[in-house]
Amino acid sequence: MSKAIELTGFSYSYPDGTPALTDITLSIDHGRKVALIGPNGAGKSTLLLAMAGFVKGTGKASVDGLEVNRKNLRQIRTLLGGCLENPDDQLFMPTLFDDVAFGPLNMGLDGEMVKVRVAEALRTVGLADMGDKAPHHLSAGQKRAAAIATILSMSPKIITLDEPDGSLDPRNRNNLVKMLAELPQTLIIATCNMDFAAALADRAVLLDKGRIIAQGAAEEIMTDARLMTDHGLEVPSVLKEKANRSVNGRRSG
Amino acid sequence: MHHAYIDKFAYQDSFFHRLDGRVKLIVVLVFTALVIALPRTSPAILACYAIGPFAVLVWAGIPLRFVFKHILVISPFVLVLALSCPLYDRTPVTVAFGPLIWQTSLGWMRCFTILGKFVVTMLALIALVSTTRFNDLLAGLQRLHLPKLLIIQLGFLYRYIFILIDRAQHILLARAGRRLRNLGFKTELQIAGAMLGSLLIRSIDNAEHINIAMQARGFDGTWHSLSRLKIRTADLLFAAASVGLMLALNFFITPLFR
Repeated sequence: MSKAIELTGFSYSYPDGTPALTDITLSIDHGRKVALIGPNGAGKSTLLLAMAGFVKGTGKASVDGLEVNRKNLRQIRTLLGGCLENPDDQLFMPTLFDDVAFGPLNMGLDGEMVKVRVAEALRTVGLADMGDKAPHHLSAGQKRAAAIATILSMSPKIITLDEPDGSLDPRNRNNLVKMLAELPQTLIIATCNMDFAAALADRAVLLDKGRIIAQGAAEEIMTDARLMTDHGLEVPSVLKEKANRSVNGRRSG
Repeated sequence: MHHAYIDKFAYQDSFFHRLDGRVKLIVVLVFTALVIALPRTSPAILACYAIGPFAVLVWAGIPLRFVFKHILVISPFVLVLALSCPLYDRTPVTVAFGPLIWQTSLGWMRCFTILGKFVVTMLALIALVSTTRFNDLLAGLQRLHLPKLLIIQLGFLYRYIFILIDRAQHILLARAGRRLRNLGFKTELQIAGAMLGSLLIRSIDNAEHINIAMQARGFDGTWHSLSRLKIRTADLLFAAASVGLMLALNFFITPLFR
């Protein structure tokens, strides 16, 4: 069975020559919830853009077995839905309904099917009766949920989210965690909020300076206090006790 | 930050709010053309024309304070044009208002006509945008076969103008927080230039992100939309009543005052 995402020896440099991603080899199975963790400027957002074919580098990249190239872009973008860091960039239409309908309409679905998809996506994110609202009338939490609805309405197999917890208060963050945890799709979440990552992810990929430093089970990576602090991160508060136990275990061993 | 949205009252519910955007748009366009085409008029004729939009505003529950505030905001542009009339046209004319008779110039007559027409057409325009959601207006324009590119631009303008204003206000706040003394006109101008540059760069950055968001959802340059507009009996009745009133104003009321 093909992998949800597969990158082999992928590298990309910014137009001014600064390396953004170096020799990335990564494989993500379907149905996983993966946290891309790393400090600011580690290359997390660029890696998400590379998966959707927005940056062209060297090496191989494929989505659900389809090679990321110009010919396959349309199909790839129906398989992989990407949500940008700032919801105001994601919500560009005059109403929420139009925004959520934008993707399905571009997919060529008929009017009735589009309405069904929009209603379903808005219900999933808890904004069922807000289709007529203008995006600038929504709160930060609602904007974030709405941005995710714009992706869900296209029924992608894989969803990428760039810093989805940014500028959310704890209540909205918890609501977002609950909503994302229930989604059946493969989720790839770029974040530097370790508590958020720990609450959602079963796998973690640690990036720093455009390179993959570690990848594996989320708990295993996020409880390695030394690894985390060496790369400008911290052990999530829910895993701190476990991290301390493993440090003490190593000392006594 | 909070803004005074132009369609702030468009989310209310009234007979006029429920009407089809296209019908209201066409009625307002025809009404505006009629008012503009009026020859040099007396204030009484313009007052008759103002009754229609005024009634709509009151019936739809739009606060008149909001209406006149918006007219005042835009008025400086028209005031410059109107107040220049008395300067170049000083032909003397005699004006009668009931028993009162006084001498003035043709320029002043033109000035008051321009201001009167401006207020009446603004009343109609505010009645339209205060009873029609902006997206319904855009959908109406699209169904009236206006170029799609123009409609997309208007949609983006409405969506992002408030974000741009927010950013500008944040930059100004950051500047005010560190402005401890007057730096002189030249330096202030340099700082203003840098602030504008920063705003422009952020806007370009934004535009790039929006482009990515659009492409990520399959946008290939063709704009698809689902129209939810529907002409009902109430729309036809409103259109018929408006046409009737405008014909009566144009052919029966206006000649009475000439």
